[in-house]
Amino acid sequence: MLEFITRSLDASMIFTLAALGELIGQRSGILNVGVEGVMLFGATLGFIVAQTTGSYVLGFLTAVLIGGIIGLLHAAFSVVLGGDQVVSGMGIWIVGFGLTTYIGSPYTGPLGMERIPAVLGVSPFFFVGVLLVLITWFVLQKTSLGLAIRSVGENPAVAEVSGIKVARLRILCETVAGMLMGLAGAVYALNYNPVWNYNFLMGWGFIALALVFFSMWNPWFLLGGALLFGTMWQLSLNPEMVLPGVLSRYIWRTVPFIVTSIALVLMSTPWFRTRWGAARPQALGLPYEKD
Amino acid sequence: MTQEEKSQPVLSARGITKRFPGVVANDGIDFDIRPGEIHAILGENGAGKTTLMNILFGLYQPDEGEIYIHGEKVEFKSPLDAIEHGIGMVHQHRKLVEAHTVLENIVLGHPHAGTILNLRRAEQEVRKLCEEYGFKVDFRAKVWQLSEGEKQMVEILKALYRGAKILILDEPTSALTPVETRLLLDSVQAMAKKDLAIVPFITHKLPIVLEISDRVTVLRKGKVVARLETRHATEKSLAREMVGRDVLFRVERQEVEPGKPVLEVEDLVVQSDKGFLAVEGVSFTIREGEIFGLAGVSGNGQQELVEALAGLRKPVSGRIVLDGVDVTHLPPLERWKTGLGYIPADRIHMGSIGDFTLVENVLLNYYFDQEYNRGGILDYRKARQMTEQLIEEFNVATPGPDVLGRNLSGGNLQKVILARVLSRRPRLVIADLPSQGLDVGATEFVRNKLVEAKVNGAAVLLISEDLDEILDISDWVAPIYEGRFMGIVPAAEAEREKIGVMMAGYNAEGVAQ
Repeated sequence: MLEFITRSLDASMIFTLAALGELIGQRSGILNVGVEGVMLFGATLGFIVAQTTGSYVLGFLTAVLIGGIIGLLHAAFSVVLGGDQVVSGMGIWIVGFGLTTYIGSPYTGPLGMERIPAVLGVSPFFFVGVLLVLITWFVLQKTSLGLAIRSVGENPAVAEVSGIKVARLRILCETVAGMLMGLAGAVYALNYNPVWNYNFLMGWGFIALALVFFSMWNPWFLLGGALLFGTMWQLSLNPEMVLPGVLSRYIWRTVPFIVTSIALVLMSTPWFRTRWGAARPQALGLPYEKD
Repeated sequence: MTQEEKSQPVLSARGITKRFPGVVANDGIDFDIRPGEIHAILGENGAGKTTLMNILFGLYQPDEGEIYIHGEKVEFKSPLDAIEHGIGMVHQHRKLVEAHTVLENIVLGHPHAGTILNLRRAEQEVRKLCEEYGFKVDFRAKVWQLSEGEKQMVEILKALYRGAKILILDEPTSALTPVETRLLLDSVQAMAKKDLAIVPFITHKLPIVLEISDRVTVLRKGKVVARLETRHATEKSLAREMVGRDVLFRVERQEVEPGKPVLEVEDLVVQSDKGFLAVEGVSFTIREGEIFGLAGVSGNGQQELVEALAGLRKPVSGRIVLDGVDVTHLPPLERWKTGLGYIPADRIHMGSIGDFTLVENVLLNYYFDQEYNRGGILDYRKARQMTEQLIEEFNVATPGPDVLGRNLSGGNLQKVILARVLSRRPRLVIADLPSQGLDVGATEFVRNKLVEAKVNGAAVLLISEDLDEILDISDWVAPIYEGRFMGIVPAAEAEREKIGVMMAGYNAEGVAQ
């Protein structure tokens, strides 16, 4: 049972890190539907570097770096070129899926390094995740930078005439977003399940993406949602641990996706939009051009 | 500030020129403004006001010309540069984040807001400004909860808080109620007394220019055509400079004997998109030869009422009778066939299709007529002939009927929409904000056409935020406030002050409803 809880926490933190990145990007108005792709890059390159050099630190740094670069590219496409963010995001996922499969397949198999030691019985990423949630919330709600980020996501024209550099801020946010997604991928491949395999992420990035909508763009709700999804995911892997004999693991495995689908459908209803709609950054997904 | 400083311009622009492909938007514009002065810039749409404003605020860079602040040459690469040189801008389309609070909007981008936001200090400082100039606004309210007048106040406060010495006001009184306009003009004068320089950019409201400004610069086609002291100007002289010809100010109102009722509305209740009741039980009748003016600030249920009448929104309850036929549950097309003519407020998105030619745009109101539709096949040749005729009759400036809708200016597009609606000789014309955003000439044209329709026996429902427009041509005036009529007043008794008060939610006796 204790193992089940710690594993659930580990899984939750991967969702948290990736979704937190997406949340930061979205609050600045940039939608990146390719979270899965960024995570795949981070995970695969982090895995290869860690295995080759034998250093976890280098592995994680590589993941953060590659995530940042992809975030920057996505931002450049969306902000500088004013491209369609969904197209770019889908591109990231497709390229990520294909390229990491190609690069990673020679490394198929276990990482073969000593496990990262636990701190107070849980993985250190639990503390990293919670701390980052706290920092993100504080920056967004309590600082001038956060107000600027939120304003850019709500109405970039307003931010512009208030003397804020819209493009620069959005690029910054999306780069940080990519770094967090890359890190999330590496936490999966180096800590949670240190084995490289074909399509090992199995849609975690998409759940993280949905989680952002689910969270109403609030970092604390996001943490709550991530804990919920992480637990459900873990449950789907070994349901017999908690509820012996109830449904097969394959049915349990669909639960996070079903919950996500239902949540997203509910959120797209007029009822929801009139009641809660104000939470969505109004300029989300829209390129900003000076008029 | 010494007398000498006061007589020196705080800002001067010299030879500002800005070209866009195919057009010189600003052509060698000179003007200056002194502290404590109210210097209005007047011009029709397309005269280059917006371009000049954007240059002064650093959104555009001029191709030629210089800007001086206190005699020193400056270059604005972005709004930030302009703000840092003491320029504040109050936009016509408010630049505020609707989901944020008033205070968050005011401190956004302020260099001394603190890395960690110090909203309490900001609140104290802004409160002081409020006391100084007589503003009242709830700092904790979200902007979307505010009225237009309050939003404008927030923009002014934001500019003042950033230390603006020169305040640019874009169409400051559009969308304000008469009461709010009064408040604004008072605070503008209070600001001028404190040596702020104020530059209102105005298209329509000439009386306001005459009332508050010290000097006027008139732009036409990108050039300065007149520069005068306001005390030497009259409404007529300003309009002549703006348009380049004499303008009839008052559209001739024509009295006709009203005929049978055309539109009868009984106890109509309509819901808004957000789920609350936007129209709460209105009843009225419009007869042949009458213009019924609906006066109100936007967002008081006009939109929902019009949509219900046009068949675009299902009413919750009530009855709509058009020309003796109960159309309450009929779809829009049946209503058109019964004699409805609808001129939507949003001429670009609802009134026309930008990628359609004028012929196709005209067909949008004719495609269902047997004359143009033979068993589903459209008679384009005939439609083209009609369009050509309408272009001539309605004076549309266009190279021909095959031009795309989006290539027309707002005024010409409105003429096309007017032409296709009125040429059907509808029994009821719903004209929703028909002259919004049009210049003096086009406005005059639109109003004349509505009067002509009335004289020809149509019933006209005119929705406008411009009280003068309503008072000029309506036979009945119904001020609407939060979904209810505050009364239905015959034109002879509709005094400006009285209607203005009713628009703010009081009945004809001045009792709050």
